[in-house]
Amino acid sequence: MTKFTGWGIASALLLAAGGAQAADELTLQLKWVTQAQFAGYYVAAEKGFYEEEDLDVTIKPGGPDIAPVQVLLGGGADVMVDWLPSALAARENGAPIVNIAQPFKSSGLMLTCLKEHGIESPEDFPGHTLGTWFFGNELPLYSWMSKLGYATDGSEGGVTIQKINFNVDPLLQKQVECATTMTYNEYWQVIDAGLTPEDLVVFKYQDEGISTLEDGLYTTEENLADPEMTEKLVRFVRASMKGWKYAEENPDEAAEIVLENDETGAQTEKHQKRMMGEIAKLTAGSNGALDPADFTRTVEVLLSAGADPVITKDPGEAAWTHAITDEALK
Amino acid sequence: MSWIVAGLIIWALGLWANVRLSKRKGRVAALAVPVIFGLVLVFVWEAVVRGFGISPVLLPAPSVIAARFGQSSSVLWQDFVQTVLKGALTGYVLGCSAALLTAIVVDRFDFLRRGLLPVGNFVAALPIIGIAPILVMWFGFDWQSKAAVVVVMVFFPVLVNAVQGLSDTSAMQRDLMRTYAAGYWTSLWKLRLPAALPFIFNGLKIASTLALIGAIVAEFFGSPITGMGFRISTSVGLLQLDLVWAEIVVAALAGSAFYGGVALIERAATFWHPSQRGR
Repeated sequence: MTKFTGWGIASALLLAAGGAQAADELTLQLKWVTQAQFAGYYVAAEKGFYEEEDLDVTIKPGGPDIAPVQVLLGGGADVMVDWLPSALAARENGAPIVNIAQPFKSSGLMLTCLKEHGIESPEDFPGHTLGTWFFGNELPLYSWMSKLGYATDGSEGGVTIQKINFNVDPLLQKQVECATTMTYNEYWQVIDAGLTPEDLVVFKYQDEGISTLEDGLYTTEENLADPEMTEKLVRFVRASMKGWKYAEENPDEAAEIVLENDETGAQTEKHQKRMMGEIAKLTAGSNGALDPADFTRTVEVLLSAGADPVITKDPGEAAWTHAITDEALK
Repeated sequence: MSWIVAGLIIWALGLWANVRLSKRKGRVAALAVPVIFGLVLVFVWEAVVRGFGISPVLLPAPSVIAARFGQSSSVLWQDFVQTVLKGALTGYVLGCSAALLTAIVVDRFDFLRRGLLPVGNFVAALPIIGIAPILVMWFGFDWQSKAAVVVVMVFFPVLVNAVQGLSDTSAMQRDLMRTYAAGYWTSLWKLRLPAALPFIFNGLKIASTLALIGAIVAEFFGSPITGMGFRISTSVGLLQLDLVWAEIVVAALAGSAFYGGVALIERAATFWHPSQRGR
């Protein structure tokens, strides 16, 4: 290589680096793998909403062995998507995390049972095996059971809780009688496996009055104390909400964008379009600002978990802030 | 700062004591050296975590882990029973006995040795994360499937060692047995099995740690809501890292005790072997 071309390449690299530096970098850690559940963020990236806010956002997919809060605290991300129950449990265990925005208004969590097991109402649960995911996702089920007054250790008059992996096989293979499902994902896996809605009994947490807040945006107290960072977060939340509302209005296009960003290639078009349709129902009614009443209800549900409460004390208003959304939604 | 200085001082003291002790002979010195080393390591860990203010999420201090250990002892005991006693030990006993019996059959019939052992090596190389989900599907979520994983994991190390051990007699020794008019079973029992014992115990020791790893890892792929693997994999999501570390302590203690127990039996059973003499 001649000296001349060497310099040429070096200056080109410098230019490229300079160009990238212009936009502020921000990393988002998702709670789960790339799917329409996170369409708003992918749409905002693809449609240039982040660019308009002068942001260079990296979206990191999650997975069964990734705890978003660990990534956040370890410095691997600036913002994470998490459920409020697991976020509050982590907060009580010493993680200074704060909810800065809440794009999801409603809960998509439900318990799906096979009709053949004779479960028609929550009174029929005792003596049955209920499957749930863990990693923080089990907390709403535990608080529900304690609200109903059922022991969860399989003793007389109580239910047996069974850890299941993130699929519906245990339900189909009759290893559990009920399984935790999401309105937008696992429920449709059951349907795709050949069962009809008539074969199933579904208990939506939203309808049982025990819904907890899902898929909020969280960052650390340290980040919020930094004015430069909060300013970045304001722009991030503004662009993300723009992405969410665009996705709500154009579900098919949003699903396509998600599919393009799915590096694993595991998602199918049919599944993602259906998922986006369900997700739009959950984000509807939220402008991104957390409703304090929803927060209080979630905390009450979590505190009510009887002998083995999910959290032992009300974290109060320290666990959420309107500082970011107030600025972002102006 | 004072914590870091304290850590450095304790480290220097421990080093000095161990250098002096290691020059002495005798049982006390031989025991004291590793104990001092271990204690210094734990103290330096505590000092570093406190001195540098490391987040408990990344690395909890030993004192925090110890406190959690005391606080959650009932949960830890329940997990220990589920994983070690039910899963690992059952699988270990089943897998090792099956391997020893198979070894004797394989040794008897040469065509089995030539046909079965390559297959054995092939199966032994299968990754546990591949077979564990399948065995969970076959044997259910409870400890039975963990025992099945352990059987698969320990079977081949023990088999290969035992087969090797059974062929570890010289022609001279076998000829001597023949001059005594000893049949197959007599020479197996009196000569070849005793000669194979050091090899067999090697396999059993390797299998003891494998059994524990197998039982814990298998719980990652479906388990009831108890067990060490279950707790380790799910507590992370709630940031209960002190509980995760407490489970790791239990696993380390159980694994060492298991290995030590097998080593003690070995010493009693193969006292005549050169490697055990003079201890």
